[in-house]
Amino acid sequence: MIKKTLLLLALGTFASSAIAEDMEVVGNVQSKCVVTPDTAGVYGNPSPDKLDSDPASGGVDPIVRYDVIQASYYKAKITYPNAFSEAPALADVVNWTGDTATSQVSDTGMSGYDAAKIEYDNVTEFSLTVAGSTWFKTETLAEYGYGKAFPAGVYRAVVTAECIAI
Amino acid sequence: MHRYLILLLIWISGYASAHEFTPTYPKMKQSHVENVVTTKMKLFNLRKDVEYYEIEVFNQNWEPVAVAVPKGNPIKISHLKTKMIDIYLKNNSGARYICSTSKLILTGGGKTAVRSRICSKIK
Repeated sequence: MIKKTLLLLALGTFASSAIAEDMEVVGNVQSKCVVTPDTAGVYGNPSPDKLDSDPASGGVDPIVRYDVIQASYYKAKITYPNAFSEAPALADVVNWTGDTATSQVSDTGMSGYDAAKIEYDNVTEFSLTVAGSTWFKTETLAEYGYGKAFPAGVYRAVVTAECIAI
Repeated sequence: MHRYLILLLIWISGYASAHEFTPTYPKMKQSHVENVVTTKMKLFNLRKDVEYYEIEVFNQNWEPVAVAVPKGNPIKISHLKTKMIDIYLKNNSGARYICSTSKLILTGGGKTAVRSRICSKIK
């Protein structure tokens, strides 16, 4: 009888101590950058010698989203194309122009990104100084020769979106 | 209710095409081979249109540095899969950036494709 009582008491003690045990929740926030192609770009053909992603020319500008968990750990480097990755045989030169700018931001603090961007060659760099999501839109225009008509066929070009730790 | 469902679907579909490469600041440590250092990187492929990623290493001036990736390079990784990648470099190689770059299959004309690259900086 005494043994039984002691056993019950011991079990009761263990049970109550288990109930009183603190539960830990552990989290780990790491800096990271996620690059997401948001909108596929499409070339419009407003005149025979032009392929333009501008919506005013019947195209669609490609959009890439950058998500950064912590501020000032990364820079975005976006390169508009200066060659076709797929095209019919071209006998003349293609003149490339383009521009990259923010199209949407998740934080008002990102409104200064465009003013602070650095441009060289066909590259645009943005310092991602605010945590959150930024959508960058790239406009790309290809003009063939001196007013020459692009030969019929399929044309494709590649925009490079880089996220580089700083 | 329907509106929330549509928003959720849009969010999921957008997120299901991303590229993630961590840690941001990897630390190299001595490998089992003399004068060779190693680190482990995590690659998460959320891009439906990409199956291969290439690992590249660069020095401070963005000049390529020789790298050994035992799992093969480029690495095949299915959509929504994560891979831990062992990176081996010569000691004192001057390596500063470890990058993963998506490899694109060139199909579907009249469109622009997006090549994504994420670079981590060696501490």
